[in-house]
Amino acid sequence: MQSWRRKALWLALLASWLLVLLRVFPLLRLAVPARPWAGAPQGWPRWLDAELLQSFSQAGELPEDDPQPPQAPRGGGHCDWGACFNVSKCRGGGLKVFVSPVAGPISDTQRGILASIESSSYHSVSPDEACLLLLLGPEAPAGECSPVPQQWNGGKNQLVLSLHPALCPQTFPPGQAMVAKASPAVDTFRPGFDVALPLLPEAHPLRGGAPGQLRQHSPHPGVPLLALAEERGGWRMAGAESPACPWDGRCEQNRGPEQTPFGATLPNATFCVIPGHRPEALHFLQALQAGCIPVLLSPRWELPFSEVIDWTKAAIVADKRLPFQVLAALQEMPPTRVLALRQQTQFLWDAYFSSVEKVIHTTLEIIQDRIFGASAHPSLLWNSPPGALLALPTFSTSPSDFPFYHLQRGSRPVGGFSALIWVGAPGQPPLKLIQAVAGSQHCAQILVLWSSEKPLPPRWPKTTVPLTVLARQRKVSDRFFPHRAISTDAILSLDAHSSLTTSEVDFAFAVWQSFPERMVGFLTWSHFWDEAQGGWGYTAERTNEFSMVLTSAAFYHRYYHTLFTHSLPKVLRTLADEAPTCVDVLMNFLVAAVTKLPPIKVPYGKQHPEARPPLAPGASVQQPPAQDCINQMAAEFGYMPLVSSRLRLDPVLFKDPVSVLRKKYRSLEKP
Amino acid sequence: MCASVKYNIRGPALIPRMKTKHRIYYITLFSIVLLGLIATGMFQFWPHSIESSSDWNVEKRSVRDVPVVRLPADSPIPERGDLSCRMHTCFDVYRCGFNPKNKIKVYIYSLKKYVDDFGVPVSNTISREYNELLMAISDSDYYTDDINRACLFVPSIDVLNQNTIRIKETAQALAQLSRWDRGTNHLLFNMLPGGPPDYNTALDVPRDRALLAGGGFSTWTYRQGYDVSIPVYSPLSAEVDLPEKGPGPRRYFLLSSQMAVHPEYREDLEAIQAKHGESVLVLDKCTNLSEGVLSVRKRCREHQVYDYPQVLQEATFCVVLRGARLGQAVLSDVLRAGCVPVVIADSYILPFSEVLDWKRASVVVPEEKMSDVYSILQSIPQRQIEEMQRQARWFWEAYFQSIKAIALATLQIINDRIYPYAALSYEEWNDPPTVKWGSVSNPLFLPLIPPQSQGFTAIVLTYDRVESLFRVITEVSKVPSLSKLLVVWNNQNKNPPEDSLWPKIRVPLKVVRTAENKLSNRFFPYDEIETEAVLAIDDDIIMLTSDELQFGYEVWREFPDRLVGYPGRLHLWDHEMSKWKYESEWTNEVSMVLTGAAFYHKYFNYLYTYKMPGDIKNWVDAHMNCEDIAMNFLVANVTGKAVIKVTPRKKFKCPECTAIDGLSLDQTHMVERSECINKFASVFGTMPLKVVEHRADPVLYKDDFPEKLKSFPNIGSL
Repeated sequence: MQSWRRKALWLALLASWLLVLLRVFPLLRLAVPARPWAGAPQGWPRWLDAELLQSFSQAGELPEDDPQPPQAPRGGGHCDWGACFNVSKCRGGGLKVFVSPVAGPISDTQRGILASIESSSYHSVSPDEACLLLLLGPEAPAGECSPVPQQWNGGKNQLVLSLHPALCPQTFPPGQAMVAKASPAVDTFRPGFDVALPLLPEAHPLRGGAPGQLRQHSPHPGVPLLALAEERGGWRMAGAESPACPWDGRCEQNRGPEQTPFGATLPNATFCVIPGHRPEALHFLQALQAGCIPVLLSPRWELPFSEVIDWTKAAIVADKRLPFQVLAALQEMPPTRVLALRQQTQFLWDAYFSSVEKVIHTTLEIIQDRIFGASAHPSLLWNSPPGALLALPTFSTSPSDFPFYHLQRGSRPVGGFSALIWVGAPGQPPLKLIQAVAGSQHCAQILVLWSSEKPLPPRWPKTTVPLTVLARQRKVSDRFFPHRAISTDAILSLDAHSSLTTSEVDFAFAVWQSFPERMVGFLTWSHFWDEAQGGWGYTAERTNEFSMVLTSAAFYHRYYHTLFTHSLPKVLRTLADEAPTCVDVLMNFLVAAVTKLPPIKVPYGKQHPEARPPLAPGASVQQPPAQDCINQMAAEFGYMPLVSSRLRLDPVLFKDPVSVLRKKYRSLEKP
Repeated sequence: MCASVKYNIRGPALIPRMKTKHRIYYITLFSIVLLGLIATGMFQFWPHSIESSSDWNVEKRSVRDVPVVRLPADSPIPERGDLSCRMHTCFDVYRCGFNPKNKIKVYIYSLKKYVDDFGVPVSNTISREYNELLMAISDSDYYTDDINRACLFVPSIDVLNQNTIRIKETAQALAQLSRWDRGTNHLLFNMLPGGPPDYNTALDVPRDRALLAGGGFSTWTYRQGYDVSIPVYSPLSAEVDLPEKGPGPRRYFLLSSQMAVHPEYREDLEAIQAKHGESVLVLDKCTNLSEGVLSVRKRCREHQVYDYPQVLQEATFCVVLRGARLGQAVLSDVLRAGCVPVVIADSYILPFSEVLDWKRASVVVPEEKMSDVYSILQSIPQRQIEEMQRQARWFWEAYFQSIKAIALATLQIINDRIYPYAALSYEEWNDPPTVKWGSVSNPLFLPLIPPQSQGFTAIVLTYDRVESLFRVITEVSKVPSLSKLLVVWNNQNKNPPEDSLWPKIRVPLKVVRTAENKLSNRFFPYDEIETEAVLAIDDDIIMLTSDELQFGYEVWREFPDRLVGYPGRLHLWDHEMSKWKYESEWTNEVSMVLTGAAFYHKYFNYLYTYKMPGDIKNWVDAHMNCEDIAMNFLVANVTGKAVIKVTPRKKFKCPECTAIDGLSLDQTHMVERSECINKFASVFGTMPLKVVEHRADPVLYKDDFPEKLKSFPNIGSL
């Protein structure tokens, strides 16, 4: 019995070892180098002596190579920024531009360009202090090909700008001059030196410009997939169902039902296919404006502002030799990408292309960025709303300092808020207000802007937060000056007459932290189109909607002070200084133009109109100030930027029939 | 049955009968058997990994044994490079054909040794780096061994360093490649171009239409959008172990570590050092090093000896100056040390500049401005410097640190050109992983208030409560901005009522029947939805007034990228249990809204159905609960924004039905909901919900103002 059992156990042992060996044996066979297995993919061989291979650069060779003497700047056809532009003239005030006088008759577009440069901060009156000389190139309608201008100097530090390049051949070589022209050919374009402009239609607005046509984020289900740019202008629609003859021009007989005359209507499709020939460049802007994603087929021209704009976010550059592959890719493009591309077209159109003025300013901003070097706009500022013309690198080069990029950067506005109290003519120190504001735990500092003729009071109330008095603020626009003393991102702008409770301030600040790019205010105005007067008007009456908040009590980001002072045309600031009540309108215009969104209203305890703070000395309470000011501003902006809102943000338990003890902002509800 | 009885009898009897000696013996035996079995199991898995590594598939050979090809002296030479080449003129895209994965296929010619008529080799067969490079390509997804399917061809002729090759003969070797065809779709890698005395900035080997990935391009030789500018690989990357050093102030502000600097530039550098003293360090090669010390790894200042590249970690900015060539290997060392490179090399095309944003990681100074370098650098704020240091290190990690990284980045750039609609974005190329994690790119980023005329589509999910459903339909149809009503019939066992029985309403009413009774059917992107705004509403929500719904829609128009709903809920961190808790008390904060009635953009339906992370969607369907919490998570995660709660409404249950759900039911409900939050937070890997203290009311809500003049008077019940 026992021996039987032993035998069985031995058998089991043997069997298990056999199993082990069976598994191992093939391995042993494999370990011996053999012919590669048939059918297995053959990669690059692993050389037995790979370790012995020499390095491509023998040790010591790399650093030892002969140094070369500095190069003299090369002229002629090849120029780049380092060699052909003298930056030393631009030290200090950034880019200063002198416009060389135009010989001969001046066209309307040229006049517009002149005007927009003159009103900008780039303008310089003398060629000696300017670091860039701007020469307006020949225009198509004028048709005269100008000779080499005076002060040419080989073109050094010159920019030859032509929005509508004339048909005449280049009369003089650009040499060391930068060329900014519409849709330059890729072969002659010097990247990093020349500037590619968009090809604008003849009647492009000088200022303001038409807004983008996109009314909704995602394409409407019924909209055709493709619109094809036609050689004679206009667009041909092609539905997703008829992809038979994409764009090789061989299907003339199969005309789509819809044919639109050139320039009259914009394409209403998801993708706009544009052939690569230069005349078709005009279609490019139309597509952008329409929110139709441009699909460029092997373009022979440089895309506008390609130095700074990341076109891969808004357009598709495809190879015209692969029509069916491109078509398939478009049909299968994930909705997320379509959504992003569509929105980007609109943003770019609004930020850089919708008016001649924007195109010119963008050109100059690009050159200024080259001068700034390390302190230029980061790419994010160029490629996300509100765009580089409204995000000044002189404020900061770190996107987190601006109110617009917190989401992309995963950051939050820093610090509490700084209360800015504007003390006007009566010259009474607003003691009660200071106490109420200083009572907020988020208040970091109080700044009193003293603009009264009266002498400063010797003593100020004791507060827990630092209180600084900035005396001798004369002009009303000084109120929005980016004072160095402001240390927080949030500003609470106040008048000496404003009356707020600590609770109101706290809640408004909590709301502002959710919307750091908007204005959060207590008192509102609304604008309206006055048919009788044929102009804009605005009212302080309480209505169901509003579009402006008063800066006598409002939170906003300190960046708007920089923008107000350094980016608004001087005309507008002068206007505000002359009619002080206009300053509220102007600030609201500015923020709305940047954000394209309405301000935010939060509840305000004092409901009775007579309790409202006077708007300004001398102005009557019920009657809003001169209606004229809103019209002048709308004219200066070129459009009406204000947007209306129909809601107010209240605390979650605001005026609910629950115990007051449950509520965080109790005193907001006192009648 | 029988066997078990037997066992019961024999089993216990067996062991006592054995002697102790035998028992040990048996135990040893059994353990050996067991070991054997385990070993067998192990080998079951081991060989797989060995077999799959190509080591086992590929013939083991020596580089010296590769076939020799004799090049006749009069064999053809390619044209010189064509400077006007662009992708759409010189590149044959037809070879890349249709490719569902949007990936180019790369073929590598097999290695040959080329000799001239006299048997003299044309070059070293292959360098260590080029071997690595080809190996990296061969191991990547791009590789194909089928020459007929390839879109890009990489010759195995090593031209990384022009000094080690014979130019004419190498060109002849290229020209006789089987698919050369004027160099179309051929890619050459070269890091050290040109040779004495004039050092051309691109490879001098005539190569016709071949693309060149070159390491020292200038604006004069670089064909924008055709060639690829690559770094000069620094062998120190592999040889030296240099632990990462975080950003922050360092001992030297500016450092120059290059050995071969033209005397004129050295004078400039010395002048800067003289002016600014301690904060500038200009190093040179060491003249009196003892034997055996690698001179490449040492730098000297007068008699002080510094270790290279370690010394680079002591500096904030490091000069990268043009030598004979524009591309310098020191750039790679500098980036690795987290030192911000100050590139002084006019007309140099920085590596991968087609996709990398060098402004974020470097300062480019014109050679003419060299004497001003110090003041230029000083104007950069500290925060930006730290950002640049971080970025520099990230560029090295991602694109410089190995030959493999360089090879794959080059192929990715070419791939992006051929399949532009699948190209990597600026952010994917440039953002370091920490930024990628923290940032949110809102899919609805354009500030846009959709026109009111568009209206909204109401989607009612229903099972069989027909009477209540009809009431909801009648109520909702009173809302002025309703443009379509969609009923999702989730009951497969019962047909929806006949057409004639449905309430007559002024807008189109559609019934969609579903295949399965799932909660996620409510968030399906039905083709019938034509508006952007969607109102999800349960079939028992009859208490919302027309004013409330219309106002909700108005609020959604101002916040089209958010969930806009009525009753708000909150998530809280339970410190005792260390997990999340669901809160439905009437608090001062909200972080979610119930989707029993909520407005949102229809794009979120697409996201919910197709892009919901992990198994959340199936989990919700299986548990028949928490689809609203899942939607709140999804929207908050993708937009980074909080919900908007509108009006004071606190709950959906009608007052008379409170008796139905008892306290215990409520308790289990709360536990389940809390579980959902914890489950979702772990799947998302983060807590995306944002807490806010505000809700949206009409402008004049509860103001002392005549009710009849208010736009939305009928609002306010809880």
